[in-house]
Amino acid sequence: MNMHIFLLALLFAGLTTVLYLFLNSQYIKYRWTILNPVLTTTVALVMILLVFDVSYDTYMLGGKWVGELLGPAVVALAVPLYKQWELLRKNLLPIAIGVTAGSIVGLLSGSLLTKLFGFSAEMVLTMLPKSITTPVAMQMAEAFGGIPSLAAVYVMVAGFTGILVGPWLLKTLRIDSSIGRGIGLGSSAHGLGTAKAFEYGPEEASMSSVAMTLSAVVGSFLGPVIVWLFF
Amino acid sequence: MKFLLTFIQLAVLFGFYLLGEWLRALFSLPLPGSIIGFLLLFSALLLKIYPLKWIDSGAHFLLAFLSLYFIPATVGVIDYADVFTGKGVWLLVIAIVSTLLTMAVSAWISQWTARTALQKEGK
Repeated sequence: MNMHIFLLALLFAGLTTVLYLFLNSQYIKYRWTILNPVLTTTVALVMILLVFDVSYDTYMLGGKWVGELLGPAVVALAVPLYKQWELLRKNLLPIAIGVTAGSIVGLLSGSLLTKLFGFSAEMVLTMLPKSITTPVAMQMAEAFGGIPSLAAVYVMVAGFTGILVGPWLLKTLRIDSSIGRGIGLGSSAHGLGTAKAFEYGPEEASMSSVAMTLSAVVGSFLGPVIVWLFF
Repeated sequence: MKFLLTFIQLAVLFGFYLLGEWLRALFSLPLPGSIIGFLLLFSALLLKIYPLKWIDSGAHFLLAFLSLYFIPATVGVIDYADVFTGKGVWLLVIAIVSTLLTMAVSAWISQWTARTALQKEGK
C-alpha cells in the first residue's frame, strides 16, 4: 500500500469515527429516535461521498478498518451474555421458541412477498436472510444464488426498521418484559437491534445478543430447507 | 496501567475472532468466524477456563461503540440506489413489513411463553 492510499484510508476511517462520536453525543443529548447515530452518520457520509464524487470502493479503503471491529465486537458480546447467564438459563424454552418462530417468519415472509410481487428468483433469494447478522446473511445469499452485497443492504434496512420503528411496535403490542423486547430486537434486527437493546438495559441486551446468535445458527440450518421447499 | 490492561484484552478478543475465522476455514463451517469466536469465549467463561476479569474491561470498551462498526456496511446502500427506484420501492416496503412481522412474532411468543411458564410455577 503506498503512502497516498494509506493517507486516504486513514482519512475515511477517521472521518467515520469522528462523525460518529459527534453525532452519537448529539443523540445522547436529545434522545430523539430520528437522531440515531448509525442513521445520521450514514446519511452524512453518503452525502459527503456524493458531493466529493468519491466511490464506495474508495471510501472502503478506510471504512473496512472500522467495519473489521465488528468481528471482535461480536465476540465481546459473550461477556454481557455470561453476566446474565442465570436469567437466560431460566428462560431457555421461551428464548428457543421465540427465536425459532421469528426465524421462520423472517425467512419466509420477506421471500414469499418478493415472489408474490413478481420479482426475479435472484431477488427473492437475496431477500431471504435479511434478519440475520451481515456476514452470515451475505454467505447465505451467495450459497442460494442471490446477490451478497444487496443482501447486506436488506440487512441494513431490517436493522434500521428494528431500531427506528421497533420501540413503537413493542409498545403497541404491550411487549414490556426484557425477554420480549430483547428477543424481538435481536431476532428481527440482529446487531443493530442489539445495540438498541443496550439502551433498554443489560437484560434486554443479553436477550438480544442470544437472539442474534441463535437466529444466525437457526437461519443457516433453516434457510436451505426453506429454499428447497418453496423456491 | 488500566489502559494497557484494556488494550491487552482487546487483543485477546481479536484473537478469539481470528481463531473463529481459522476454525471456519478449516472445517468449512456455515457460521462466520465472529459467531464461532463468540461461542468459544462464552464457553470458556461458562466453564471457568477463562476468568471474567481478564476480559471485562476490553469487552466493555469495544461494546461502548458497537453501532459504529456497522456504519461502513450501511454506507454501501450508495451503490444500490437504482435497485429501489420504480417498482423496486416495493422491495423496501417488503423488507420493512417482514422485519416488523419477525419482531412481533418473536417478541410476543417469547414473552407469552415466559409468562405462561411463570404462572405454572406459581401454582
